[in-house]
Amino acid sequence: MSVKAFELVPAVERDLLMGDKARINIECIECCGKHLYMGTNDCFIHHFLLDEVTSSKGKLTYSAQKLLHKYLGLKKPVAELRAASALERLIVLCDGIVFLVDMVTLETVPSAAGGGAKIRGVTAFCVNENPVNGDPFCVEMGVISSKKRTVQIYMVYEDRVQLVKEVTTPEQPCAVSVDGYFLCLALATQYMILNYNTGASQDLFPYNSEDRRPIVKRIGREEFLLAAPGGLGMFANAEGVSQRAPVNWSESVIGAAVSFPYVVALDESFITIHSMLDQQLKQTLSFRDGHILQDFEGKVILASTKAVYVLVPLPLERQIQDLLASHRVEEALILTEGAQQNIPKDKFQILHKRILQQAGFIQFGQLQFLEAKEHFRTGQLDVRELISLYPLLLPASSSFTRCHPPLHEFADLNHLAQGDQEKVLRCKKFLISYLGEVRSTEVANGCREDVDTALLKLYAEQNHDSLLDLLASDNACLLADSVPWLEKYHKYFALGLLYHYNSQDSAALQLWIRVVDGDLQDSTRSGLYEYIVDFLCSCSNPDLVWKHADWALAKDPTIGVHIFTKRPVSKDVTELNPEEAITYLGKHSQALLLFLEHLVLERKIKKEKFHTHLAVLYLERVLSLLSEAPADEEHLSRARERLQALLRESNLYRAQFLLGKMENCEQLLLERATLHGKLEENGKALHILVHKLKDFSSAEAFCVWASCCRDSAYQQQLFHLLLEVYLDRSLPAKSQAAAGGGELEMAAVDLLNRHGEVFDAVRVLRMLPEGWSLQLLRPFLGRAVRASMHAGRTAQIAVGLAQSENLQLLHDRLKDRKKPIFVSEKKGCHLCHNTFSEPDVVCLPGGAPVHTHCVAQRVRDSPTKRQLTNSSNHT
Amino acid sequence: MPEVSKMKKPDVKLVLLGDMNVGKTSLLHRYTERKFKDTVSTVGGAFFLKQWGPYNISIWDTAGREQFHGLGSMYCRGAAAVILTYDVSNWQSLAELEERFLSLTDTANHDCIYALVGNKADLTDPRAQLCQDSDEASKDRMDCGEERTETQVLSACPTPPASPVSLSGITPGKQVTPEDAMALYGRILRYKGLEEKSSLPAEKMCFETSAKTGYNVDNLFEALFDLVLPSILRNTNENQHSPTVDLEECRGAKRGRPGCC
Ligand SMILES: Nc1nc2c(ncn2[C@@H]2O[C@H](COP(=O)(O)OP(=O)(O)OP(=O)(O)O)[C@@H](O)[C@H]2O)c(=O)[nH]1
Ligand SMILES: [Mg+2]
Repeated sequence: MSVKAFELVPAVERDLLMGDKARINIECIECCGKHLYMGTNDCFIHHFLLDEVTSSKGKLTYSAQKLLHKYLGLKKPVAELRAASALERLIVLCDGIVFLVDMVTLETVPSAAGGGAKIRGVTAFCVNENPVNGDPFCVEMGVISSKKRTVQIYMVYEDRVQLVKEVTTPEQPCAVSVDGYFLCLALATQYMILNYNTGASQDLFPYNSEDRRPIVKRIGREEFLLAAPGGLGMFANAEGVSQRAPVNWSESVIGAAVSFPYVVALDESFITIHSMLDQQLKQTLSFRDGHILQDFEGKVILASTKAVYVLVPLPLERQIQDLLASHRVEEALILTEGAQQNIPKDKFQILHKRILQQAGFIQFGQLQFLEAKEHFRTGQLDVRELISLYPLLLPASSSFTRCHPPLHEFADLNHLAQGDQEKVLRCKKFLISYLGEVRSTEVANGCREDVDTALLKLYAEQNHDSLLDLLASDNACLLADSVPWLEKYHKYFALGLLYHYNSQDSAALQLWIRVVDGDLQDSTRSGLYEYIVDFLCSCSNPDLVWKHADWALAKDPTIGVHIFTKRPVSKDVTELNPEEAITYLGKHSQALLLFLEHLVLERKIKKEKFHTHLAVLYLERVLSLLSEAPADEEHLSRARERLQALLRESNLYRAQFLLGKMENCEQLLLERATLHGKLEENGKALHILVHKLKDFSSAEAFCVWASCCRDSAYQQQLFHLLLEVYLDRSLPAKSQAAAGGGELEMAAVDLLNRHGEVFDAVRVLRMLPEGWSLQLLRPFLGRAVRASMHAGRTAQIAVGLAQSENLQLLHDRLKDRKKPIFVSEKKGCHLCHNTFSEPDVVCLPGGAPVHTHCVAQRVRDSPTKRQLTNSSNHT
Repeated sequence: MPEVSKMKKPDVKLVLLGDMNVGKTSLLHRYTERKFKDTVSTVGGAFFLKQWGPYNISIWDTAGREQFHGLGSMYCRGAAAVILTYDVSNWQSLAELEERFLSLTDTANHDCIYALVGNKADLTDPRAQLCQDSDEASKDRMDCGEERTETQVLSACPTPPASPVSLSGITPGKQVTPEDAMALYGRILRYKGLEEKSSLPAEKMCFETSAKTGYNVDNLFEALFDLVLPSILRNTNENQHSPTVDLEECRGAKRGRPGCC
């Protein structure tokens, strides 16, 4: 698993440094901007200017130009060099002495008056890159002194150094790094963190510094990288906690640095590059005689004993693309996401999305649809990128063009599948489910037509059930593109739906009709004919209905007529004018009949025209059945029943007109009787029923229905009429004889006995022939007597009740009036106007007292000698 | 030098400790990737970040090899739970926990909880041979057949033999019983100076698992997540005024002061 993360570029070649002096070795380096300093074993400092040159092909090279070299005069190797650029000083360690050198002239800085510019007895030092002191013209430095078990903190100024702190350590330190107040130390047998401000310490882990050279490398704020036993690169923060998993180096690592997101390490013959994100070894570069590996302001510089190189990181995007190119999706994503903090937010988002999309396509190509989908989703893929992989799915009118540079390597689905049809099919299934999911989300915003049209095409091609659902619901399928596609796959029913959705009902109907007629083949919808009828039924365009109803009626009038009879009553569907419909249906007699039945019997429309028309049709039917020979009795009786029912129940048809139509028809006597009844020609009706049909029960029934909503007088009259017809002696004797001599009488008897209550018994008795036995009429008479008795008694009761009521009222009235009547010598009689001398008085109505004799006088005189007799005589 | 970016700080830390080859890495794989796959002996350590509800839990997988022993204390620093893992078919692996690993936990939080986990239960307990993840079931059964002959023998009889041997709980091949583990748990509490009564009971903190079949693995991790929830809550509270922020602030304050030059 390798990735090309870095390139090793030569910076200062051997010739430039030492020419042919073979014994000269590089001991230490420092780089500060373009300035490269080198300390050698012969106590020289060399100063180069390092220029970056980018070739036309984008390749980076360095050109080094030697500015100066200077002998330090100590005859010992230069052990360490550090630039303090703000002070324009180099801090140099040579021969155990730290001193300052001018960065430009390389002259040793003389000690200032107030203090020394030299520290003696130093084995190693480090510069604090996260200083606690705010002074920009001052560098903080940690120093390991050869004095036992101490670390010293110095402030370095332009011309002097100042000791600010000295801390003791439990063992002799051999390497140091500092961040803020935290010293990270490699002691003889372990690493530790020491806060030089508080003195607090934290053991990290044991390590034998005699086995291996320790590495203590600050890699960021309060975080250090340490060489651990077993060739590990361990991370530790100032709290003594490891927050990243270790990387696995070789045992002999001599230098390490971090160039995010990589840890770069150098051993005797290799540069190894591990990712901090997944701890994996990503790249190995062979490097002979490696000696120094250090990073300066993000630039990783290596040196062998004789030459200097720069480890140039490849642009992150390039690395990610390399990973993707080798289908290492996970690593590419980890690398992308790991770089989040190092890239400006908006730029990162664009990059991240793109990588996610590319990752999705790689997984798509491997048929890992679940993963692909997730990446498409998080990467907010323009779904048309995916659709465009499938030939012909995007509508011709789509403005879409694939993104550039392309997100994947596939020309199209066939290229991807390499002719494997099974693969193609799986990809199509995936797209179906994916589009189905996204079409109603914001992913489809702005390209709904493209999405829906593609989905329609796939559904059609794959014979998918959801095709109809798509078309029956809200959709944005483009008609122009979809028509040929649906035709190609014989999805005519669906195509009709699409036409309908696009308000082209006429086209839809024509298409469907051709399917029903067998001109086109599409078995999608069984019962398409009924569907069309339904469709016309709720069709809001009357012209269309008129245009296609003929076809539907011709196909099956009983179902076809539903177009007219089942029209929903709502404001969306325009009402068809029934008269128009009737005219229209003229040529479809059966449908017409059904329609009239619908109007008259179901909707109960009260229109003479419809009722008469329907009755005529019924009649015609009956007549035509009658004319058949042999007659189909069953049909005939059913047809007559219908006719009779209509004649009986409706009051709206033109009875006279109908009567005229069957005047001569002796087979339709019952119907004629009914019509006469409707015309209130009850005599004629009953005559037919009794004498012609001899159907006494029908005659009775006639009386019942003909009077059913009339008053009892009418009813009585009708029944008397029937009785008269029965008892009519004026009829020729032959009819009597034919009636079996007494058949009519029997009918009369039955009628009386059955409906006695409606007759006026007295009138009946007068009519009945003398010779009839009492016994025969017993039920009638019995009932009549009882009825009359009953009536008499009821009347008596009524009288009694009325009287008692009257009495009651009288009583109440009296009670109301019952006031004392005063009689005294001072009051005068109303009649004679003399005063009373006795208590006996009579009261006039109104309560005025008068003398008894006066009243008597008055009664005698008055023409009405009544009343007053029962006058009260109260005192 | 650009600052090395800080990773999302986990809310709590769990550490897997135990001798090499007991199956720590396999347990973590089983839990996080829901499968049992080939492992190599862990070098140094590795960790996994588990999103558990709104919290980030880091689970550290350490190396059992003697060579990396020294790193253990560091891994345990600040841990809220330590999973002491042994191999139920290997007595020595339990003994090592007490001898070698227990002292590493000195750096863990004062209220750290300890779980004792006997892995490879599939080798000794027929119950643990039943695969737990249905989706992985067939695959695992295949693995079972291929890898180890002794499992093959055991999986040939899927129901436990009703012999007195298995009733007494000592199945052939078993070297560490749950009672042994519970006894060790008691000793751990004593070592930590904890009252048995006020600590989590041994029955609750001793598990037998199989990374191979998935037996009890989810249980183990989820039980522990539940138990460390108080630590998580405390940490997330502390983070709102975390010591690092304090340092930043006090440094900022110092900057304001006039330099002492
Ligand atoms: N039968 C069985 N074998 C297991 C089980 N868990 C792990 N193993 C096997 O045990 C061996 C060691 O597993 P690891 O997970 O690498 O062990 P470890 O504890 O991580 O080892 P180190 O990383 O060296 O500390 C491997 O061969 C696994 O296949 C288990 O539950 N049952
Ligand atoms: Mg492991």
